[in-house]
Amino acid sequence: MAKKFIPLLLTCSLLFPNCGAREKWQTSTLLVFDTLCEIKVFCASSTFRAAQEEVEGIFSEIESLFSPEAEEYTSPMVLELYKKALQVYHDSDGCFDITVGPLSRLWGFLSKSYHIPSSSQIESALKITGMEKLKVEDGTLILLPGMKLDWGAIAKGFAIDLASQALIEMGISSGFLNAGGDLYCWGKNPDNQDWNIGIKHPRERGYFGILSISQLGAATTGDYQRYFIRDGTRYHHVFDPRNGYPASGRQSVTVCGPETLLCDALSTAIFVAKEPEKIMEKYPNYGAIIVDSDGNLSFIGKASPFRSVD
Amino acid sequence: MDRRDFFKTMLATPLLTPLILASRKSKNDLELYLIAEEPQKLIPILLEEVQKYSLSDGHKFCFLNPHPQEKALKECLLGRAWAIAEEPAKASLALSFSHLQSKALPSFTLVKEGRIWDIRTRKLLSLWQEMNRIPSPSSCLTIATFKSRLTDFLTGKYVTVYNHGQQPETLSLGKNLTKSFQARGGRITVQVRDGKAWISDSPCRHKICLYSPPVSLAGERTICAPNNFLLTVERHRSIDTVIG
Repeated sequence: MAKKFIPLLLTCSLLFPNCGAREKWQTSTLLVFDTLCEIKVFCASSTFRAAQEEVEGIFSEIESLFSPEAEEYTSPMVLELYKKALQVYHDSDGCFDITVGPLSRLWGFLSKSYHIPSSSQIESALKITGMEKLKVEDGTLILLPGMKLDWGAIAKGFAIDLASQALIEMGISSGFLNAGGDLYCWGKNPDNQDWNIGIKHPRERGYFGILSISQLGAATTGDYQRYFIRDGTRYHHVFDPRNGYPASGRQSVTVCGPETLLCDALSTAIFVAKEPEKIMEKYPNYGAIIVDSDGNLSFIGKASPFRSVD
Repeated sequence: MDRRDFFKTMLATPLLTPLILASRKSKNDLELYLIAEEPQKLIPILLEEVQKYSLSDGHKFCFLNPHPQEKALKECLLGRAWAIAEEPAKASLALSFSHLQSKALPSFTLVKEGRIWDIRTRKLLSLWQEMNRIPSPSSCLTIATFKSRLTDFLTGKYVTVYNHGQQPETLSLGKNLTKSFQARGGRITVQVRDGKAWISDSPCRHKICLYSPPVSLAGERTICAPNNFLLTVERHRSIDTVIG
């Protein structure tokens, strides 16, 4: 009996080779890094299930490898990212620094019980801040006692790069991954155009501009993401690692370029830096959109198509 | 007082006719007309409700002319996280005063895009009824103008619901509805009213999503992180996603 169906099945498979594997736009969200990661890709349903698992797996691996509670790090992946972070640290004259963990803790950003520390407390925290205090010995990243790493300004971008690369290798021709402020997009959007990425307005509802990009990453650092207000002053989570206080002069910085991890790190560095042009000169494939503390917009580095909507 | 009588009273004043005409022209502006002897007692409650209709989200105010209750109004707004604008152009709320030629019963009316919006049907109904019980009429008219810096370009058309492990569902912002979703930790209720969407019920612990303001502009989101539940407003194919 079953033999009767074999020719039929063969005919079906010849006539409809993609039956059950039709490509379409697929979207979903995953909870990663305490934020929602939005996935939009063009692929078959079966591929999409595998893609979701892949993204989830990469993010949970990164999350466990880069735990801020660790006292030493041995994974080659951590050492790889450490080298990238060190490069940005040097290129930005210390404006980007993964050792700001003690400052985040001191100001209450880890426990969410915010307070303004005394200058002596800040001085003590600064003694255990600075990437030059980290050492790599026998493939192990070693911290001084009391030091605490905050990978928040680079690890999410790294995870986005790894995950999007994995999806491209799976054969997914178009899509984007967006985990909060970090994004990578490739191919074309459903209108067969470059992807239109809105950048959130730092003070108002909605967004202030649209980037039209593809095969690029983008990341935003803002003073509105985590902050508290005391006596009318806003204290946010982006510290100037050189003085221990929240960096001033900017509301938001968005960096766009080939690697999301560098966009992530550079957006923090530019947010802190007094002379951001000097940093961007070292990264010719990257561009930054800066909203200063008065709400004025400026652009440095490589320009990407941008439309202002305000 | 009937709304018709209210407008009859207002139109009888020579100042108000040009104000209403101006309100009809400026499509994004929204104006609240309040007749009350002590507007400072009512403005906070009204602002809370009226802001749901407004595209403006700033928290700076100014006075366009001297108001008899200016000091009390300032105190009440400053106490509710509003700040005084350095100049009127930077204010998202402009307050002005007009003296009615004849006294009228206390009332409030909202004009949006040149149309009268009946906000008494929402939670302001009890306030309206209470005001109508105040026997003494007033000639103090306070006009609160909400200035929007955002263009109609940003207004969302749809809200897409991303619920963990399920196909996203798109709801039109043009149709009022209440819908429940089975999320990871229990049922989440989403409400769409007057072009805005919000989460009205959630089983999550801290209820942060419930305190999030309604969303209506393309790219705006409300997230219930513990339930991996996301509402995102879209304007058909103008933007694909938002960062920041």
